[in-house]
Amino acid sequence: MGIFNKKKNNIRRKELIFIWGMLALPLLQWLIFWLGINVNFIKLAFLDARTNAFTFSNFITFWNDLTTPDGSVKIALVNTLKYFAATMLLINPLSLGIAYFLYRKIRGYKVFRVIFYLPVIISAVVMVECYRGVIQPNGIVDMFLHMFGRSIPPEGWLANFDHATGAILFFVVWTGFGANVLLFMGAMVRVPAEMLEASRMDGCSAFREFFVMILPMIMPTISTLIIVSCTSIVATTGPILLFTNGGYNTTTISFWIFEKIYGGGVSGGLTSNYNIVSCTGLCFTLISLPVIFLIRFLMEKIPVVEY
Amino acid sequence: MFKKVFKKEEQTILMRRSKREKIVFGIVFTIFAFYAISLMLPFVFMIFNSLKGGEEYINDIAAGRTFFSPVKALFENYASAFQALKVTDFNGKEIYFPQMLFNSIWYTVLFVGAGVLASSMTAYVVAKYRFRGRRLIDGIAIFSMTIPIIGTTGSTLSMYNTLGIYNTPLLPVLVGFAGFGFNFLVLRGFFSNLPWSYAESVFVDGGGHLTVFFRIMMPQARPCLVTLFIMAFITTWNDYQTLLLYMPSYPTLSSGLYLVQRSLTRNPLEYPVYFAGLMVSVVPIVLVFSLFSDVIMSNFTVGGLKG
Repeated sequence: MGIFNKKKNNIRRKELIFIWGMLALPLLQWLIFWLGINVNFIKLAFLDARTNAFTFSNFITFWNDLTTPDGSVKIALVNTLKYFAATMLLINPLSLGIAYFLYRKIRGYKVFRVIFYLPVIISAVVMVECYRGVIQPNGIVDMFLHMFGRSIPPEGWLANFDHATGAILFFVVWTGFGANVLLFMGAMVRVPAEMLEASRMDGCSAFREFFVMILPMIMPTISTLIIVSCTSIVATTGPILLFTNGGYNTTTISFWIFEKIYGGGVSGGLTSNYNIVSCTGLCFTLISLPVIFLIRFLMEKIPVVEY
Repeated sequence: MFKKVFKKEEQTILMRRSKREKIVFGIVFTIFAFYAISLMLPFVFMIFNSLKGGEEYINDIAAGRTFFSPVKALFENYASAFQALKVTDFNGKEIYFPQMLFNSIWYTVLFVGAGVLASSMTAYVVAKYRFRGRRLIDGIAIFSMTIPIIGTTGSTLSMYNTLGIYNTPLLPVLVGFAGFGFNFLVLRGFFSNLPWSYAESVFVDGGGHLTVFFRIMMPQARPCLVTLFIMAFITTWNDYQTLLLYMPSYPTLSSGLYLVQRSLTRNPLEYPVYFAGLMVSVVPIVLVFSLFSDVIMSNFTVGGLKG
């Protein structure tokens, strides 16, 4: 009996060595590159840029910049909200719609599926350059607008304070469907066809079927994607660098941060910016966390259909 | 045989449409066609203008002829792209187009390879073994994926400097070796659905846990791993900001061509050659995508965040 127990312990020990052997390096990586960077990030927010002493002055600077009428942070915040709205109200619902028609095998769906995915596989550098060429004054869009007696201002939309953000937003929506469409389709394909067959026999219309059957069944995918897209809006700078480099009031929060660190933008970058950037980032993180949690909470309230 | 019949039925239910639906599908088809054309239009612009002479291109902009084919197709622009397009780094070293292409390849392969390896290790252990701390690790993964932390760029830069990996080829390996992100979530779901019975028989034959992992589980996960690899390959290949910020001496095609574009404002005559360079930069990614598009399109599904 004793020998048997010893053998069993030995087996378990081998198993544990394997488990932690597999986990050790990735965990160490996480400790340094996630936890370490974030702890350092919070620390930087409370340090003075010159003296490295503990201070709250970064927060005061942040507050002043946010409350000045034309402050760069305020412009960035307003623009970020516009991107948020575009993603929630246009990109996500439209992706769902596009995915549905592709799933129902609309004519030419195989070709559409690949073309709609192009913006994902082609570098933003290329797409932006193309779009810029299309919307330049005298370009193809301008010619089209001439038919309606309108025109693009001579300096172009992208060099115009009133239109630059709108033009970039349009680009973001125009190129924003690809990945989501693919994921929504992946979820729809898994909906059992017998169920659709049965409901159709009972006289359920296809569009009612979409709302009462397909939508509830792919809800886990939808909520995951909504949460991920919330996270990515505040975390990525999108194509602003490529379009205007932050000029013409086009900055967003994440772009403002990128520019402060990378430099070369409108206001240039310096090591001494690390503290104010970390502080601003920390404030916005604290603001956006409850929003993300609320969205997550609401999404989890929606009953999930198991199948 | 039976399976085939079943599949056919599945297609008909998705393709069966009532009269009213037929009208809706017709309208949506038209919209899809226009959208698809709009996504293809930029490439027409790119191809045409990459074959023009410098002065011809500038004249065409003024005359609104950017969507017209070149007077004479200058294919030598593509050769010039390889020879002339260059970036000068902060040490004054000149990096030419072929070097950028090479940088793109090794950076992407190292970064993505490390990531897929790390997450398959963590995901496998969490999916298949029971041990203390398992729930905590699961929580870490979901937590660090869904919490948007804004503005860690400064902290990241100082951390990379402290570790001495800033601007070195070690960076993609260490930073890429992340085991608790999106890949983890997908792979954990995949591994937990794999049967354990093969593993039991390996143990009976005296094989260890590593044998099971490498010989039994990884081969079965190949389609899933390939999909994740390709998806991450595309994003990383097209990423220019990370390279600009953390690897300034190793410009890839994406970050390098962005820098080329910034210098073009001083010399607009070189635009056609730059366009040719952009066209070349698209080729590898389109190649990779078309080789694996079936795997990607059929293997990509994401469920809920709750495990």
